[in-house]
Amino acid sequence: MSLRGCLLFWVFGLRGLCSLNQFQLNLLNLLRSEYDQGVNTFSPEGRLFQVEYAIEAIKLGSTAVGIQTAHGVVLAVEKRVTSTLLEPSSIEKILEIDTHLGCAMSGLVADWRTMIDHARVEAQNHWFTYNERIKVESLTQAVCDLALRFGESADGEDAIMSRPFGVALLIGGVDEKGPQLFHADPSGTFTRFDAKAIGSGSEGAQTELQEQYHKSLTLREAELLALKVLKQVMEEKLSGANKGFRILPEAEVNELVAAM
Amino acid sequence: MGGNIEHRFSPYTDNGGTTLAIAGEDFCVVAGDTRQSEGYLINARYSPKVYHLKNNAVLATGGMHADGVALVKRIGQNLDWYVHKHEKQMSAPALAQMLSTILYSKRFFPYYVWNTLGGLDENGKGCVFSYDPVGNFEKQHWSCSGSAGHLIQPFLDNQIGHKHQSNVEHHLLPLDQVLKIVKDAFNGATERDIYTGDFVEIFIITKDGVTVQKHDLKKD
Amino acid sequence: MSIMEYNGGAIIAMKGKGCVAIAADRRFGVQALTLGTDFQKVFPATDKIYFGLAGLATDVQTLSEKFRMKVDMYHLREEREITPKTFAHMVSSTLYEKRFGGYFCFPTIAGLDAKNEPYICNMDGIGCITTPNDFVVSGTAENQLYGMCEALWEPDLEPEDLFETISQALMNGVDRDAISGWGGIVHVITPEGVITRTLKGRMD
Repeated sequence: MSLRGCLLFWVFGLRGLCSLNQFQLNLLNLLRSEYDQGVNTFSPEGRLFQVEYAIEAIKLGSTAVGIQTAHGVVLAVEKRVTSTLLEPSSIEKILEIDTHLGCAMSGLVADWRTMIDHARVEAQNHWFTYNERIKVESLTQAVCDLALRFGESADGEDAIMSRPFGVALLIGGVDEKGPQLFHADPSGTFTRFDAKAIGSGSEGAQTELQEQYHKSLTLREAELLALKVLKQVMEEKLSGANKGFRILPEAEVNELVAAM
Repeated sequence: MGGNIEHRFSPYTDNGGTTLAIAGEDFCVVAGDTRQSEGYLINARYSPKVYHLKNNAVLATGGMHADGVALVKRIGQNLDWYVHKHEKQMSAPALAQMLSTILYSKRFFPYYVWNTLGGLDENGKGCVFSYDPVGNFEKQHWSCSGSAGHLIQPFLDNQIGHKHQSNVEHHLLPLDQVLKIVKDAFNGATERDIYTGDFVEIFIITKDGVTVQKHDLKKD
Repeated sequence: MSIMEYNGGAIIAMKGKGCVAIAADRRFGVQALTLGTDFQKVFPATDKIYFGLAGLATDVQTLSEKFRMKVDMYHLREEREITPKTFAHMVSSTLYEKRFGGYFCFPTIAGLDAKNEPYICNMDGIGCITTPNDFVVSGTAENQLYGMCEALWEPDLEPEDLFETISQALMNGVDRDAISGWGGIVHVITPEGVITRTLKGRMD
């Protein structure tokens, strides 16, 4: 099984915009206190508000879906094309980290760049030193090591951000343990999933994944499932005419959409 | 008054000795003599320079003994870190690449060591890697280095590689034959090289682990 | 670089059971540059004595002619064949005459004496003789040849086995020396006559 062939990169256009619902906003206002200003100060309840806000920021982002199968991992991301004048190909939300690793994101794209750069360096460093491909879990750990390097610098380490990252990642890849999907959030926590959705439509998408996922999914079935789940949480119609189409030739996406 | 006296310190010395490694189908043999000398002095008759590492690879170090000890210590540390970081033992080929990186990182103040690394690869086949002091390395089927390396190398070419044997079937030798060849090689080298002798330690790496044999060599 | 390593070369002599063998490579080169692949380094002194000269090629040719002349003069004056031992001492004293400014050649001698007893020896550039009971080696591949001979040689080899042993030692040895090789020549000296064979080898 070719490592490269195991990762699919799709992005779809959508003009709608999601936002926090009113209930969530009210909840946040209630919790806000003087402890939510310093990025490295615990509240008396033992919470780091800035990190929690960062996690909230993900919920403003576009939806991303990851599905692990026995044959590979599928990553799919909704692309919000907010204007007809916008050039869809300039929005990138799925990138290659190494030939066996891919990453989808939701949240602040600018923060994601820093993390991807770091991930790519880590992957190449591992290859340089050991002449082997880094494990998906090790790579995820390496990315998460960055997550809490904000605020004032610790001894010997450079703090690279003044605030927590505002992105959640879906890292998919294949190593000696087979295809794996990991979710990493701004707190630096990472968890392995069979299928995971992040971003504004994640709640509905996750429920749908929960119902539809089974261990014996083929890669193609996973592709279709990812499309279906994304379609349900997107506000616009999904079609081959979507300008957000990426990487896969248009004919293939049309064919996939038709097969749904 | 008298002129200035200049004192010079040389950070390197050659402690002699010979090492070799041979890869088999499902095993690997790494061997080295145990004499440690400096010029015409024998510092020790049993000072092993072949090391069984935690990942079941075996590293033979020739050249300067102190540098070999320091290098093996550093490798051991890196092997532990790797286990902590990646939750698995480092494979022999991964170690081979890492060793090259470590050696090259000291390109301008090298470890004065000629390494030979033996182990099993991901498929359980024997593999041998040989190095120069600054990390240039090559995967080989057999290799030897050190003070009697020049003497043993053509013998291994002939016996392991079947060089200049036109009517012989070329195949990887079984363990018992390899062990005989290793002993012959060291007995021959001991006869002519003053830096090789006392004992030979032979490490045998299989999927079940690593075993060691120690044999006498001439002590003159 | 030592002048002994200017042209390159490898020579072995071995004792067998009632026979001796002497072998050499055939390369002639100037440092890394190969100029000839049929260069003679082993010469007959008599029907039963051969000598090989390893070292500077010009001295190899000068000395081989000198020894030929001296053997002929011995033959005319003494009216008998020179023995290997006498020949060895003749070579030795010829070299020692030039003790302070000598030839850059290390001779190797192999032969059968009057009783057909095997004799081998070699010497350094000023004529210091060694006469071991098994084999002698010299040339730029000396170390490799020592390793091969120590491992392959055994006592009482018959002519054909001796040929195989010395050939394997030579060919495998010179393949690990950059300035020896390009084929070899082997002479096995038996009471019945000399068996001479040339060997093909790597051409690098």
